[in-house]
Amino acid sequence: MTESALDRTARALDLVPYLLEHQGISVAELAQVFGVSEKQINSDLILIHMCGLPGYTPLELIEMYYEDGYVTVSDPQSLNKPRKMNRTEITSLLVSLDLLKSTRSDRIAEEVETLKTKLRKSLSFENPYVVVANSKNSDLVEQIELAITKANALEIVYLSGSKDQSTERLILPLELYQQNNFTYLKAWCQTSEGERTFRLDRFVSLKISDANRISYARNEKLIAPQLANIELIVSKQARNFIEENRGIIANLVEGEAIQVTLHPIDLDWLARTILGYGSSIRVVGPKQLAEDITARAKAIRQLYPISK
Amino acid sequence: MSDRKTERLINLTLALLATKRYLKKSEILTNVQGYEGSQDAKERMFERDKDDLRSLGIEIEVGDLDVFFEDEPGYRIPQKSYELNVPDLTGRELALLSVASNFWNDSILAPNAQSGIRKLQSLGIPASLDFEFRMKYRFENPSELLEQISKAILQKSRISFAYDSASLKTRHLEPYRIVFWNSYWYLIGMDIDRKAIRLFKLSRFQGSVEISKKKNEFNIPTDFDVSQHLPKEDVEIIRTAVVEIRKDSGALFRRRGKQIAEGVEFDTYEIDYENERAFLREILWHGENIRLVEPQALKEQLLILIDGILT
Repeated sequence: MTESALDRTARALDLVPYLLEHQGISVAELAQVFGVSEKQINSDLILIHMCGLPGYTPLELIEMYYEDGYVTVSDPQSLNKPRKMNRTEITSLLVSLDLLKSTRSDRIAEEVETLKTKLRKSLSFENPYVVVANSKNSDLVEQIELAITKANALEIVYLSGSKDQSTERLILPLELYQQNNFTYLKAWCQTSEGERTFRLDRFVSLKISDANRISYARNEKLIAPQLANIELIVSKQARNFIEENRGIIANLVEGEAIQVTLHPIDLDWLARTILGYGSSIRVVGPKQLAEDITARAKAIRQLYPISK
Repeated sequence: MSDRKTERLINLTLALLATKRYLKKSEILTNVQGYEGSQDAKERMFERDKDDLRSLGIEIEVGDLDVFFEDEPGYRIPQKSYELNVPDLTGRELALLSVASNFWNDSILAPNAQSGIRKLQSLGIPASLDFEFRMKYRFENPSELLEQISKAILQKSRISFAYDSASLKTRHLEPYRIVFWNSYWYLIGMDIDRKAIRLFKLSRFQGSVEISKKKNEFNIPTDFDVSQHLPKEDVEIIRTAVVEIRKDSGALFRRRGKQIAEGVEFDTYEIDYENERAFLREILWHGENIRLVEPQALKEQLLILIDGILT
């Protein structure tokens, strides 16, 4: 990989003011921040060390100390301030802020607006990106964030999405995230002794519990019984099945219709889900799944006796 | 070789930044380290270097010196145009920005967001993160097309691309905005063939995007509002269905709706929904525990789905 002199120049011009504000930073950390190897940072630093102002006596060079892998800049010459952000930098940050805002229902949403105005004032670019926020933010988010930080256990009543019943559970919250417009919580579930993912809109209640009741032993997931591969033919009308379930898809073969192989997964859930796509998803195997879906469809058909 | 060029470019930037007055070309070629060879070679080198620095977004001002130097122009980089300046940025805001920029993970926008953050972190503002922020965002990674498309939007050039829909066709578009909506990336713009605003999912683009060589081929209407053009079935049009839910089941469904009658085997509920297809999937997910009563049109669609499985 050969890097152009221009890219290197750009990085060097950014390195000096960054060093100035992060005196004594390690080369390892610099490499991480700038997304290059330590070797590259080292050779950048050697190069910068030789640059300066006309005259080029030690007084006019960029003055830098380098000891045991830690760097200090004592005289940056005229490079004491960072460069202006370019269009792509500023637009990526503005979109990030919009995303952040769309996940919040608290005061952070307002702060983000103020911040965006400040950024725009100092850097006026047309922003080609628009983030449309229409997710329903749960008011449980802040409580759960706090519980994650404090490692509090939670007692919840939860409406299961895969079994159509509500359960009481004792959980240790681990990670919150938004996906497909829903907010999810990944947690250690003491009740079922495993990691589980919960959807926030299915919480019936939540309260802080005594963490001592939890024994969080992240034992390797029980190896799922090796099922025969689940294979589906998904027509293009049912594309969003693929888009919404990327996480469980093992393999895709595009064609007139799409051949999909799934990772082993709860077949009850899968059968229920496939029903909703009618003829646009066909089960190739296992046979048991195909039969289950047909049986369910027959039972549903019984509910509508009058229609043809 | 590349070392020497990099060194020269840095030296040139430093010199032009440090000077208050314009530097004559002859001064630069003599004093700035790295210009070697014949006079011609030096001058060509300098011309290329100027172009290179400008391509990095660095503004090099060209000014007339005084009358004594006649037609020899002078150069400098005005500090004001070079330096990043975000007045009143607080430590908390800087911390918010860092958190937000982490959303990109390893996607195509990550390097840009990271280098932007680095610059802000070089302003000497101590970041203070005094909030517990745990929410992450998982979304479809933006495709490599984003950069190309945003370039086309900014220079107002038309684009064409192959799009995977019921029929695979080449679309011709005046691109208006890239939209992030419901965890997916879309492009919205004026479909030239259909003479109407259309929305395209980026994940369904096939191959690359062709950008017209011309610029300023169109204008985005000043009152253009993305939210007006998102598919109606997915926004704010709320319809009401009547369903029967079997006793002791459909807990989630019950919670969303309003009970209007109690029966022996089934209870009757009114439930609001937005997206027809998503709603049908939810009903069918519950199998024989939920029976759709109204609306009739929706019921017909439900039966099409079921009969599709049974045939």
